[in-house]
Amino acid sequence: MSTKSQSIDRKSQDERLRRVSKLKKLLNRPELGALGGSILVFIFFGIIAGDSGMFSAYGTLNFLEVSSNLGIIAIGAAMLMIGGEFDLSVGSMIGFAGICIAIPAIYWGWPLWSSILFAFSMAVLIGYANGILVVRTGLPSFIVTLAMLFILRGATLALTRLITGRTQVPGLRVLIENDPIAWIFSADVFSGLFVWLGSLGLIALRQDGTPLATGIPTSVIWWIGLTIFATWILMKTRYGNWIFASGGDKLGARNVGVPVARVKISLFIGTAVCATIYACVQVLDAGSADTMRGFLKELEAIVAAVVGGCLLTGGYGSAIGAAFGALIFGTVSMGIYYTDVDTDWFKVFLGAMMLIAVIFNNFVRRRVTENK
Amino acid sequence: MSTDTIVEFNNISKFFGSVIALKDVTMHVKKGEIMCLLGDNGAGKSTLIKTLSGVHKPNEGEIIVEGKKTTFDSPRDALDLGIATVYQDLALVSLMSVTRNFFMGREPMKGFGLFKVFDIEKANAVAAERMGQIGIDVRDPSQAVGTMSGGERQCLAISRAIYFGAKVLILDEPTSALGVHQASVVLKYIVKAASEGLGVILITHNVHHAYPVGDRFTILNRGKSMGTYSKKDLSREKLLSMMAGGEELNKLEVELKEMDRISKSNN
Amino acid sequence: MRKIYLSILAIVSWAMMSVAAVAIDVIVVSHGQANDPFWSVAKNGVDSACKDMKISCKYTAPGTFDMVEMAKLIDNAVSQKPKGIVITLPDAAALGKSVKAAIAAGIPVISMNSGSDDFASLGISAHVGQTEFEAGVGGGQKMKAAGGKKALCVNHEVGNVALDRRCAGFKKGFGGPVEILGTSNDVTEIEKAVAAKLGGVDTILTLGAGLSGEAALKALEAAGKVGKIRLGTFDMSPDMLKAAAAGKVEFLIDQQQYLQGYLPIAIFAQYIRWGTMPAGVVMTGPGFVTPDNASKVIKWAAQGYR
Repeated sequence: MSTKSQSIDRKSQDERLRRVSKLKKLLNRPELGALGGSILVFIFFGIIAGDSGMFSAYGTLNFLEVSSNLGIIAIGAAMLMIGGEFDLSVGSMIGFAGICIAIPAIYWGWPLWSSILFAFSMAVLIGYANGILVVRTGLPSFIVTLAMLFILRGATLALTRLITGRTQVPGLRVLIENDPIAWIFSADVFSGLFVWLGSLGLIALRQDGTPLATGIPTSVIWWIGLTIFATWILMKTRYGNWIFASGGDKLGARNVGVPVARVKISLFIGTAVCATIYACVQVLDAGSADTMRGFLKELEAIVAAVVGGCLLTGGYGSAIGAAFGALIFGTVSMGIYYTDVDTDWFKVFLGAMMLIAVIFNNFVRRRVTENK
Repeated sequence: MSTDTIVEFNNISKFFGSVIALKDVTMHVKKGEIMCLLGDNGAGKSTLIKTLSGVHKPNEGEIIVEGKKTTFDSPRDALDLGIATVYQDLALVSLMSVTRNFFMGREPMKGFGLFKVFDIEKANAVAAERMGQIGIDVRDPSQAVGTMSGGERQCLAISRAIYFGAKVLILDEPTSALGVHQASVVLKYIVKAASEGLGVILITHNVHHAYPVGDRFTILNRGKSMGTYSKKDLSREKLLSMMAGGEELNKLEVELKEMDRISKSNN
Repeated sequence: MRKIYLSILAIVSWAMMSVAAVAIDVIVVSHGQANDPFWSVAKNGVDSACKDMKISCKYTAPGTFDMVEMAKLIDNAVSQKPKGIVITLPDAAALGKSVKAAIAAGIPVISMNSGSDDFASLGISAHVGQTEFEAGVGGGQKMKAAGGKKALCVNHEVGNVALDRRCAGFKKGFGGPVEILGTSNDVTEIEKAVAAKLGGVDTILTLGAGLSGEAALKALEAAGKVGKIRLGTFDMSPDMLKAAAAGKVEFLIDQQQYLQGYLPIAIFAQYIRWGTMPAGVVMTGPGFVTPDNASKVIKWAAQGYR
């Protein structure tokens, strides 16, 4: 009799233990800091800019679009950072990819879809170059990609001026209409939904009756899609484990058979491809390419990744966190224009948010590795 | 050569330019035996390990694995033949979970084609089971390795090597960074592993850890082997004096006595 | 610890209340950056007009010359539903979509400073500024009349279509060979770039006074060529005005950006009240500041109004 009740007691104790540890597991995730930060930012702007139109359909899509653009490159930066490296050439790659799309299409008469494919193949080449240089020389990726930052930006400017005589290449909007690929970077999705919401009077209308907010921009779909894809890779695949291992202990990982060099090279290709997706979205939206596009964006991507919980030294982080980091960044950078605060203070605000998020993340990470 | 011997390292020498790191070192390891490789710091232990595990190629001498003469072109070759080395840094990432560390580089897969995924459920189960066999209760195998103590991590690294088919286990200073209790946990596991048929080469400079578990002892001094002794031929004190250079300590004692006498007579 | 948290919370809440948004009548989205003294005069025009007209305004600009970010700011402004939006239009292709969206949402738009050729096609109600090409022609003619044979046109904001037109107009008015020198907007770099070209020209035109004009003047002084090479510039700055008063500079082309900031606000104030709107371009320049009238302008420029 007594033994039976004993075993029942132990079983119920185990169940309680399991429940607590599930909650604890949630609290110990790297995304927590970024999620908390996002909620804080929304509360903040909800209070001070609630009626200003920031959270109208049109206003919301506006800051979501900024967030999603940054989110696309933040995912690449986060995965690379988890793998233990940095890519400072992302901003220059955005500019370079932009002219790879625009110049062949406008000046050489290529169909737009082939320019887009050309830009992606250049991305693979440049990413591969970055990766091979880092892996073979053993130099810090910081230095190698910094050099590539200058090389790419200079090449962008020099080649564009050489071929076109100016620093901008306009005129792309007309080419989008009949192109088979371009729509996946430039269309508005769910426009039917917005028309319906407009007819119900739930969102603002233009003077001709169509809704002001025409649809969800494709950059948002790309952002969400890339985040899901990256999370699946990191959590569910063998390759994802290799990424964590390469960033956590490069030498040890190689000793147990992880192909660290291959992993890092593929991650550099990943950041270059993300930069090219960003460039496609931006070039097709603005209808033009510009040699200065993407300036300093690599730093913003790194900020988003760090705010999202990625450790600068590698081996730890999350793509979902980086997505939230981008959301914070985008909301703040647009939200400040809805207040009376001078926009010069934007950088102060941003730095403060970054610091808070990083301190919080550090606290979470210490609990993960020091508590049981 | 008995059929019990798993690996033989005969007359191994390693030079780095004009520096003679190892000269004519011979060591045999049998199945189920713990061979302790002892020597003070600078005796050449790490060079010998690196040569045994395939990081360096010996300049002279031969390596015979299970009766066949072989050369290692890389650590991978040694690993493939069943010679697993656990270095001091353990090759563990403290921010990753026990499971992910256990299966690092050799993750089990499920699914097919492009949709192959890391079989986390199976991996978690195996990792928890293997750790349980050592006597370490990992309540949640997805907890980070950083939450484990030094001794537990050492056992994890050893368990991983054994799971993936090690026949000879080379352990580089496994107890150096551990406290007394932790060290005894690790040493108990090493004994258990050997009793299941593995050959173990235990490198250490701590005689008090080596003596209780070792079957035979090879002592290195300045790159040369001072011989291999089995436990019945060697007392702990004799071992200690051979390692620490007993004659030097004796000389020092004599000199100190002399200095003391001189200073007393001057007063 | 609790006291510290509470006091931080109190300060933050107070700060938040003080910056809470109010409904704005007119939002200005300009490409003018804070580090160019030119735009502070225009912003003064905006602020004076808002005070005089008794309406509420907000002046916004992106951190760098970035058309993509500026388009976003226009979208931002639209979502706040002001009664009017004033923009500068340095790149109609990049900004067109956002401008059209504003107009489609029922918010009238006036452009100022740049975009005199493109504003009408976008549906913008009026343009307040100086047409760049004609101003350039005027400057070129003046330099030709003074005896110039070979000239240098210094462009410090490559990609700004309006500046491109200034050099193009100057070339037309001047007649002789004109080399267009593109530089960054860093003062030292401009000076070095100009100094390198002094050997082959007798005339220099810069497109901004505080930045490139002063840099070019420094280059001339360092080489001892003041007076030997004629210097003219678009826009004004205190030092360039002093140099003009001293006879070192032929002329300054004043587009009177104070009016570019002031007039659109004044126009919108009347539009809000009575629905009136001028048609076409309201010219604020070119006004030529020469050694004859420079000293008066200096006084007003020091106050931030010229």
